Amino acid sequence: MDFLSFGLEWLPQLLTGVPITLALWVIAITLGFFLGLALCWARVYGGRVWYWISTAYIELFRGTPMLVQMFFIYLGLPHVGIVFDAFTSAVIAITLNSAAYQAEYFRGSILSVPSGQLTAARACGMSKWQAIRHVMLPQALRRVIPQWSNEAIIELKFTSIAYTIGVVEISAIAQDIGSRTLDFFHVFLWAGIIYLVLTSSVASLLGWVERKTWVPGVTTQ
Amino acid sequence: MDSDLVLDVKGVKKSYGGVEVLKGISFSLHRGETKVLIGPSGSGKSTLLRSINHLTHPDDGKVYLKGEEVTDSNIDKMRARIGFVFQDFNLFSHLTVLDNVRICQIRVNGVERDKATRRAYEELERVGLSDRADAYPAELSGGQQQRVSIARALAMDPDVLLFDEPTSALDPELTGEVVKVMQQLASDGMTMVVVTHEMSFARQAADEIIFMEKGYIVEQGDPQTLFTGAENERTRAFLNVIAEHG
Repeated sequence: MDFLSFGLEWLPQLLTGVPITLALWVIAITLGFFLGLALCWARVYGGRVWYWISTAYIELFRGTPMLVQMFFIYLGLPHVGIVFDAFTSAVIAITLNSAAYQAEYFRGSILSVPSGQLTAARACGMSKWQAIRHVMLPQALRRVIPQWSNEAIIELKFTSIAYTIGVVEISAIAQDIGSRTLDFFHVFLWAGIIYLVLTSSVASLLGWVERKTWVPGVTTQ
Repeated sequence: MDSDLVLDVKGVKKSYGGVEVLKGISFSLHRGETKVLIGPSGSGKSTLLRSINHLTHPDDGKVYLKGEEVTDSNIDKMRARIGFVFQDFNLFSHLTVLDNVRICQIRVNGVERDKATRRAYEELERVGLSDRADAYPAELSGGQQQRVSIARALAMDPDVLLFDEPTSALDPELTGEVVKVMQQLASDGMTMVVVTHEMSFARQAADEIIFMEKGYIVEQGDPQTLFTGAENERTRAFLNVIAEHG
């Protein structure tokens, strides 16, 4: 019963971290979505120079830990006069990191759309942009949903790293409650449960989107 | 100017990596005519067809559609008037049959939705698939997909229809339904250029057969003449091989 009584006492306080965690996540994943699309664009359609810029970016952010990226932005950049508060630094780090992964997933899905369909779109008189908008994107976005869901959930968990630079999200509050009650066992059990509820909600929401947009022959069941 | 002249191809050349696959091809097509391009693989038939609407950009030569030159700047407008049927159908997989036949009408020609729907059903009726309007391409057989792609091209009200080996990707038992639709179109007076190995179609539907080899037009004439007494030795050899195997 320790578990339940601990929950009754401290859960309300732990839950105050949820809006911060979700805000971090929603802002970063959304900005990462558009930056990821742009990076993917640069890599697939941008020509030589953009290809290399985009590739270098993707390799850099996939090849270094997010913790290092976040520390660099929050603690390193002030040395050259660029100062962000903790929340903004966390958003920037997660955005930049997520964009690199999202770009790669987008690239994979764009390349998986049969090129003959784009040719057919051009052959009936569509402009390049119309062919992308009406033929390529609707298929590429459907195809990317499973991987994108995965990425979204990973980033949701990565928001906990923001705790290390002082953002008061779920993990930071849990740590705080832990040092006050010295009951780290129960506090992190409850923190884990909150994350699990959040990630499984996101997973089922995206699963629903995937089913709603399913079309035979475009994505596998 | 000949008012019935639909397509005029003049001296089209194309090279790939130093190999010239089209060595200055010229031919013309009048309203209601069906011309069939035949020849061994690699003879440049498909490249020629794709040069007409610049899916392959010709290195040299000119293409005129009803007297108007096809250029880089008017290419999207010209393509809207040139129907193209691909070997592997290339239907849009995320769209239903109905939407496949509607989308270019709406997005390219700016046809109003209801009107596009009516037109789509008319063309689907013509290829015998109006009952499959709600199906997705993956739910259709290859022959049905190709018939939908013909309907998609027809719905644009094109001046000319180009067929690039429309039955080559089909199982043999499915070629018949597609050939039948093409024969009907030819006899309805559609203006068409067809690259095919279906000699029965060439024999019955073609007003003229053009035999190509190694980037040249070797011989052209009406099917009767060509099938019974081709002047060129290579044309005869090709037709014999086709007759034996096809």
